[in-house]
Amino acid sequence: MMNSTTFGAPLMRHSEGQVVLGGNGEDVVVKPADYPGREQPYEHRFSPYDFNGGTVAGVSGEDYLVIAADTRMSSGYEILSRNTSKLHQLNPNAILASSGCKTDMDQLRSVLDIKSKIYQHNHRKSMTATSTAQMLSNTLYGRRFFPYYAFNVLGGIDAEGKGCLFSYDAIGSFERTQYSATGSGQAYVIPFLDNVIGNRNRTEEKPTLSKEEVVELMKEAFVSAGERDIYTGDALEIMVMTKDGVTKETFELKKD
Amino acid sequence: MFRNQYDTDVTVWSPEGRLLQVEYAMESVKQGSACVGLRSNSHCVLGALKRSVSELSWHQKKLLEIDDHMLVGIAGLTADARTLAKYMRNECLHNKYVYGTPMPPHQLMADVADKHQRTTQTYVRRPFGVGLLVASVDPLTQKPHLYQTCPSGNLYEFYASAIGARSQSARTYLEKHHETFGDASRDDLIVHALQALVGCVSGDDELTKENASIGIVGKDEKFTLLEGDALQPFLDRLELKGGDDDEEEAGDDAAAEAEPMET
Repeated sequence: MMNSTTFGAPLMRHSEGQVVLGGNGEDVVVKPADYPGREQPYEHRFSPYDFNGGTVAGVSGEDYLVIAADTRMSSGYEILSRNTSKLHQLNPNAILASSGCKTDMDQLRSVLDIKSKIYQHNHRKSMTATSTAQMLSNTLYGRRFFPYYAFNVLGGIDAEGKGCLFSYDAIGSFERTQYSATGSGQAYVIPFLDNVIGNRNRTEEKPTLSKEEVVELMKEAFVSAGERDIYTGDALEIMVMTKDGVTKETFELKKD
Repeated sequence: MFRNQYDTDVTVWSPEGRLLQVEYAMESVKQGSACVGLRSNSHCVLGALKRSVSELSWHQKKLLEIDDHMLVGIAGLTADARTLAKYMRNECLHNKYVYGTPMPPHQLMADVADKHQRTTQTYVRRPFGVGLLVASVDPLTQKPHLYQTCPSGNLYEFYASAIGARSQSARTYLEKHHETFGDASRDDLIVHALQALVGCVSGDDELTKENASIGIVGKDEKFTLLEGDALQPFLDRLELKGGDDDEEEAGDDAAAEAEPMET
């Protein structure tokens, strides 16, 4: 899976040469030829991507799914909105949560909505969560050479009534897991979930958690992420899905 | 008199100024099994009589979903109807994608009518052999509308209509009761639709939950399809109606029964 910790438009440092974003989060310095007595020329490149921030996390349970995302949208060091939703219900049994470039997230959402509708027309039933997961993967891979800058977590209730969660990279690689997080604050949330949901580095037996307990844990996770990650904050939207339906809750986070 | 000479191509006029191929296509609609539509101020209901090829086969689907706020009932060449439904669905999806809002039904119907017309003015194609009844709710005004298209490309809007075989009895029933539709409840509309269909069954057959089909769209209701067991409570109300002592209603049933005997 691609590492997503460094983002942004190419930075210009004219004394050293142009700094561009390489793979694996490394910066590569490209030095143009020396011009005697002058500043070195540099190239402006338009970046089609912008990172609009935010963290997204999900936990699947025996018969429920909890999926949460903060509501802050930013660009650089500025906040563009304190109140945008990163959660979208695609089907009666699947919720898509994405972070990354907002326009790519919105476009991906529209495209998936259309594909879901066409499936519904042709099959006269809505897609299962696992089928939706495969469809999302294929859609992302379809743009392998100009990716949707969207880091996704897809959650739902599978055909057997169990909660399911899938996490993705930007080009469609995916895996079904019990819990996951992605976005700017993923490095703060994942280790926490590892300990509390995955029971890592604990000696006691792994407990079965109710959905109410998981919701409280999510709030804790995002409060912690909000402390250190500047792109996470404002408010937290939590959606809980069971076979009986979906509920949504909003929880205030720090605004700084 | 002149029919045989001027009816081979759709691009040939008859001396009476008629396009005979188009008229023949309209005959095809009359061969399909009945489909009725009616609307109130809040809902639009379509009813259809589903035909089955044999006792072993299923009953052919007559009501197709186009979008959350639109459904279509077909009579005539089913395959032609499915092509049109596919077109309408894609247009609705495209509109939602481009404009972020559900497709306005009147706009789609104008495009569908034009699509029909194009086939009547070109040498290499044939008219669509299907009549459509489109039940819809305008997303802007939240008002229901019922539209009808025919192979000629004409577009009509109705308070209530019926197409297909033996649909005249349905039309008579609807004409008689249409003034009560405006304020009728959703359930009453469904009962009216089924009552109108009763007169369209052939010979010994009767309207059952296997061969009846109801589709509804409404102001606050997304497209819903009622088939099978879900129809039984409404069909039961039909029987009750027939058993009422009310002379007018008994007269109606008798008239509905009598219609199939006439032309």
